[in-house]
Amino acid sequence: MHTDATPAMIEVKHLTKRYGTRVAVDNISFKANSGEIVGLLGPNGAGKTTTMRVLTGFMPPSAGSATIAGYDIMRESASARGQVGYLPERVPVYPDMTVHGYVAFWAKLRGVRNPRAQADVALEHVQLSDRRNTLVRNLSKGMRQRLGLAQALVHNPPVIILDEPTIGIDPQQVIEVRDAVRELGQDHTVLLSTHILSEAEQVCDRVIIINKGHIVAQGKPAELRRKLQPEMHLYVVLGGKKDRGEKLLRSIPGIEAVEAAGEGFNVRVKKGADIRTELIDQALHAGYTIQEMRPVMMTLENMFLDIIGREA
Amino acid sequence: MAGVFTVFQREIGSYFSSLYAYLIAFALLVIMGILFITDLDNAAGQRPPDPSVIPTFLSFAMIFFAPLLTMRLLAEEKREGTLELLLTAPASDTGIVVGKFLGAWTYYTLILAISFLYQLILMGIAQPDLARAIAAYIGIWLYGGACMSVGMVFSAITENQIVAAFLASAMLFLFWIGDRVGQVVTNIEVAQVLRELTLQGHFSTSFAYGLLHAEDVVYFAGIIVVMLFITVRLVESNRWR
Repeated sequence: MHTDATPAMIEVKHLTKRYGTRVAVDNISFKANSGEIVGLLGPNGAGKTTTMRVLTGFMPPSAGSATIAGYDIMRESASARGQVGYLPERVPVYPDMTVHGYVAFWAKLRGVRNPRAQADVALEHVQLSDRRNTLVRNLSKGMRQRLGLAQALVHNPPVIILDEPTIGIDPQQVIEVRDAVRELGQDHTVLLSTHILSEAEQVCDRVIIINKGHIVAQGKPAELRRKLQPEMHLYVVLGGKKDRGEKLLRSIPGIEAVEAAGEGFNVRVKKGADIRTELIDQALHAGYTIQEMRPVMMTLENMFLDIIGREA
Repeated sequence: MAGVFTVFQREIGSYFSSLYAYLIAFALLVIMGILFITDLDNAAGQRPPDPSVIPTFLSFAMIFFAPLLTMRLLAEEKREGTLELLLTAPASDTGIVVGKFLGAWTYYTLILAISFLYQLILMGIAQPDLARAIAAYIGIWLYGGACMSVGMVFSAITENQIVAAFLASAMLFLFWIGDRVGQVVTNIEVAQVLRELTLQGHFSTSFAYGLLHAEDVVYFAGIIVVMLFITVRLVESNRWR
């Protein structure tokens, strides 16, 4: 393990959480450094929320330990909790409070020195200042999400934990929330969970893929892509003959799988092999025309299904 | 007990911004007003007005009204998910529970204070037994606090406010009717013990007559402490599930 000059803001060591006999999180370890946006990626029930609930001090781990900004979540729970801003999956609101009153309440509870002024700063940050005196019950879902964010950052914590921050809101608002998260990443450490891969790819500096309580892969989105997609995929459309050339493709050594897709075929090439020239030669030789041939980037989506499929 | 004051403040604020809390206060005050006038009417020229007519009414009414005032406290936090956020804030579980209880108790105290105005009005037209009235009010203040602490326990065990209120009422009713049970039991020692356990047993023959007994104060204070302790444990149990 390399040593960092900056200490890890979130450090999780061999964390396990059991509910009765069911193991929700099984011996996971990871770190998040200062100013990093880390995505926890996984299907529903993978253990993302549980991990976050342990880190926020909501529930104790069954085994293992974790520190937030250097404070142990068990032994120095109150200090650790003070370092975290948390937005649970379902934005928790008091419907009968005003927007400003709501944020100021959380500021006060977390010991902010000037809660009312800080609440205004936080509302400015999430662009809800114009709704300052609206009752929370009258906010749209997207606005509630932003209100939740305001609550999480009002005490200016070094660590912000967001559980599925873009779930259930419309696309325009999703973009707004993602922008807000990216902005937060400039001076906070952000840990966010999502089951949407493109989101993790767009927003996060580092992604941790988690399934059934285990970490199955982690790294920068681009790194993960490289690591997990060693073989090449091509999309090929052949023309000029009645059949579409499936037989021919299958006969070329180095091609592992051929699968019809649209007008042509998805072709999986063996690791390390480059059969593009040979494919063209053979196809022309057999009297086909090549209408299309392009490499297919495996989306993180597919990769993800691939990884968790292998797990199962 | 970090967070007591902040939670207390919010709780008071939420009573005053909720129509429903006003309706409860309204209902109580209307009934108390009618009872007061009726008693005054009956007493006119024959006997001094009964200074504990309102506290005695409340000793029954709080069985139903206390749970209505407290059912929201934790059940709603649980349902809205705010409890999770509260439990991850640097506030102690005890602080949260005590803050909420004090908020509810303060709201009840305000309702009581308004009804105490009747006694002051009476001073202008009759010679009320003010000392007895004050004792009865202290009694019903503690009595109400005890009822609300029981209500809070049930608010902590469910997300459903109706269920919380119903169970708390049922429980309080048992505490209340126990007094009657004590009266029909022939074994005098058993009857005495039963009576000492009930809410009425510590109100109807002491506070209601203007008697301040340490044992009665301790009884109500004890119920409050025990119930709050149970509530704290129940809130804490959310962390273990």
